[in-house]
Amino acid sequence: MTDPTLIRNFSIIAHIDHGKSTLADRVLQLTHTVADRDMQEQLLDSMDIERERGITIKAQAVRVMYDADDGKTYQLNLIDTPGHVDFTYEVSRSLAACEGVILVVDAAQGVEAQTVANAQMAMNAHLEIIPLINKIDLPAADPERVKHEIEEGLAIPADEAVLASGKTGEGVRDALEAVVRLVPHPIGDPDAPLKALIFDSYFDAYRGVVALIRVVDGSVHKGLKVKMMATSTVTDVEEVGVRRPANIPVDSLGVGEVGYLITGLKDPSLVKVGDTVTLARNGATEQLPGYREAKPMVFTGLFPIDGDQYPDLRDALERLQLNDPALIWEPESSHALGFGFRVGFLGLLHMEVVKERLEREFGLDLLATAPSVEYHAYRTKGDMVVVHSPQDMPDPGHLDHVEEPFLKATVLVPPDYVGAVMELADQRRGTFRDMQYLSATTVELHYEMPLSELIMDFFDQLKSRTKGYASLDYEYIGYRQSELVKLDILLAGKPVDALSFVVHKDKAYARGKMLTEKLREIIPRQMFEVPIQAAIGAKIISRETVRAMRKDVIAKCYGGDISRKRKLLEKQKAGKKRMKSVGSVDIPQEAFMAILKVDD
Amino acid sequence: MQDLAGGFVAPWDDTRVALPRHLYVHVPLCHSKCAYCDFYSEVDTGAPEHAAVVGHTVKLLRGWLTPHVRWSPLDTLYVGGGTPTVLGPHLVQLVRALTEVIPLAGDAEVTIEANPESFSPKLASALAAEGVTRVSVGVQALDDEALVRLGRCHDSAAALGAIRAASEAGLAVSADLICGIPGVSAGTWERSLRGVVEAGATHVSVYPLTVEANTPLAGAIAAGEASMPDEDATVEGMNAAARILGSLGLERYEVANYAVHGQRSRHNIAYWTGRPYMAIGGGAHGMVDGEQAHALGLAPDDRTDVGRVRFSYAPHLLPGDQLQPLSSIELMTVAEAAREDAMLGMRMTDGISDSLAEGAGVTEALESLVVDGLVEHVDGRWRPTERGWLFGNEIFSRIWGVVE
Repeated sequence: MTDPTLIRNFSIIAHIDHGKSTLADRVLQLTHTVADRDMQEQLLDSMDIERERGITIKAQAVRVMYDADDGKTYQLNLIDTPGHVDFTYEVSRSLAACEGVILVVDAAQGVEAQTVANAQMAMNAHLEIIPLINKIDLPAADPERVKHEIEEGLAIPADEAVLASGKTGEGVRDALEAVVRLVPHPIGDPDAPLKALIFDSYFDAYRGVVALIRVVDGSVHKGLKVKMMATSTVTDVEEVGVRRPANIPVDSLGVGEVGYLITGLKDPSLVKVGDTVTLARNGATEQLPGYREAKPMVFTGLFPIDGDQYPDLRDALERLQLNDPALIWEPESSHALGFGFRVGFLGLLHMEVVKERLEREFGLDLLATAPSVEYHAYRTKGDMVVVHSPQDMPDPGHLDHVEEPFLKATVLVPPDYVGAVMELADQRRGTFRDMQYLSATTVELHYEMPLSELIMDFFDQLKSRTKGYASLDYEYIGYRQSELVKLDILLAGKPVDALSFVVHKDKAYARGKMLTEKLREIIPRQMFEVPIQAAIGAKIISRETVRAMRKDVIAKCYGGDISRKRKLLEKQKAGKKRMKSVGSVDIPQEAFMAILKVDD
Repeated sequence: MQDLAGGFVAPWDDTRVALPRHLYVHVPLCHSKCAYCDFYSEVDTGAPEHAAVVGHTVKLLRGWLTPHVRWSPLDTLYVGGGTPTVLGPHLVQLVRALTEVIPLAGDAEVTIEANPESFSPKLASALAAEGVTRVSVGVQALDDEALVRLGRCHDSAAALGAIRAASEAGLAVSADLICGIPGVSAGTWERSLRGVVEAGATHVSVYPLTVEANTPLAGAIAAGEASMPDEDATVEGMNAAARILGSLGLERYEVANYAVHGQRSRHNIAYWTGRPYMAIGGGAHGMVDGEQAHALGLAPDDRTDVGRVRFSYAPHLLPGDQLQPLSSIELMTVAEAAREDAMLGMRMTDGISDSLAEGAGVTEALESLVVDGLVEHVDGRWRPTERGWLFGNEIFSRIWGVVE
């Protein structure tokens, strides 16, 4: 056990792409935690998807030993955090285990929406904030401007901001010196009963649930009988250790230390993130403050293209859930798509990542329906129905009113693009709240808008209309009543449930028209004419037609052509298999996402 | 084969496996490449090469003969390409040399594929004298501008001349036409159909223009220098062909083939009715039954379920290459062969019999095609409907799709 005065627990927080993971890599190198030859980029991002996309999804914790200028060796526990807005909950979990943060800001990009959101989270948690201006080696770097933005926009003194480059390694030592000097050491009672916070967990196929913990009071060692307070689960400690970044067992973890805890429990629901670990007998009576549970905001139907893969999909979702408590799902069946699951996600990136992992790691071929939000439908008889899927929306005749989730959206953008942002927000039913200049080059705008509008490619639009300059953050503010209707799409006269969606009534006509036009382009010509209709209840609001194909024939087929043409037919058939047949109409997968591609 | 006494073996004692009665010989040379063609061929370089091609082809043919097999007299011989007629006098030699190796049956059909620029009355009579009975002439369209766009190196007058020359030499003539060529009017198309028949063709093949990947035509379309074939015009062209050729006494007997009575291509019918055929030459494809495959060493001895083997020669097969350089060998089970027969049989107006359909296990698929109006079931046979001709792929893939 280490003297708590020689321990510093800190996180690195940043807007996505501001270089947080690279900086973490440099810390590992500088402290010789990882030999140079073992160094690979984004070492703490262990998932393939994280490395490929250059993003961090899961929080990671690592212990490094740092020989400071004062001649003492400090134990630094670094907790890497995701930078994307979808994963804000991971950030809040990590912060609960720390006394300070390094707030990384890109020297060229300056303060962005997630910088503001993360800084506020750190302030609310009363953490010491060390501003660090990263990527100072870039030609476009402008540290003075960025300092100004940090002071104006975040109200954080930035005179002594660390200037660093994750790429060259410059300033990394300065950053660690600042951590040692400024971040308070942990304070706890070594003689009190054990109190440790579970700030993350993952599932190991051999060891069961591995909890990442931060000891607040007391200590924990192998063989100890402990209790998970929220679930009242009592178990033996099989192993405690630290991550450097591989798991290294240690005898015990004491006040202020960060490490992992293995109990042999195999059921992740018994080891909840946010729970407190204490002694099984004479333990602590009060839990540490937990943090907000991750709440899924975006829902989509996931269906196996090949119906036989349904059980595999369920197994895969169960496996992913072990490491991703934010993932929730329930079975769903669709006339058009058969059996699948309605899956809840934190946001669109979370959805993409999960879908990609299901396809890549589990070899599944999936079809995703357009994302939706959770609507609250109040019926005339007075009760409320929770609607995760448009097809569950009650009949208009029985519907009194519908409420939908609203957000406070924060957009940071250069002044030149304020008009473009306002125009977009307006189209997406946004209500303007306020606007302030953070600096001469950055304006902060606040809007209130429905989540359902935000998940309709809002972010892509925002980026394209501001040449990539705008950044976005949002937080949930509650349910509000909206004039919503369910729009159905009929193909060849039959409603296709998986194409239904909920839309504001003022936009229903235009959306229906654009969607039918889009579907006309996407749905391949078939042997017969296919009418495409959009309808609200029994009322048809628009109609398009896919013309019938006139011919489909391989005319030339002699000795040398037979194998070749047979293979061509097999290939075409495989292509068709990737489509969903609804009635007799073959629908390509992209049709189910077409609603997202409809531009206002 | 010799018996112990080293003397005569009576046919009933001959245990050697008979080879197919159909032979395809590929001559992979052309005067130049047409814009739409994606078949393997090399540009012709002249007489020394021609002599070598003849020698090499015969060597390849002889190479098939092993102690386990014997030749059968040929019912049909088809020399295709490429453009066999670029060989000129060497083509006559080639036919002679081939028929010296394998004898022709008494009423054998011997077809030569010809292009107008390398065909003449002299060549026609020389071929006829060598036993050739039939010439298939690449005409494509009687529209000189369209022929230039397609990269053909002849005009319509030369095409008609070639048909007349063959006909006058006593050869049966088939003409190849392409419908749906952008810029060819309905009137010109009709004149093309009538023109080839008036010149003497008793067999016509009609193919829709298909844009194959990596052809000059595909490149020109991508560059905006040529237009895509129009689907409606192509369909009109196919329907006009059936109507006009029918009125001239040429009945459709396959998706793309029309003939006056008695002039159907027996060689091509062999392809569609599952009869084995040997093949020789770069890029050529052959097909043998299970017994022949084992005798030829094309199927492993321990595979007892082989019903059919398809094989092909590597392209670039010009003189100097090793013997029998096959680029693919595809083993098919008896069941797969039956399904393939059902699929190919449905290319023809005769269609397939109930027993063939039943044996191939495709009756259910055919019934679904009847529901969709693509197939009819009359007098114990399944055959395509008028609409079925336009949706052949749907028919073929549903029949073949049974295999999984």
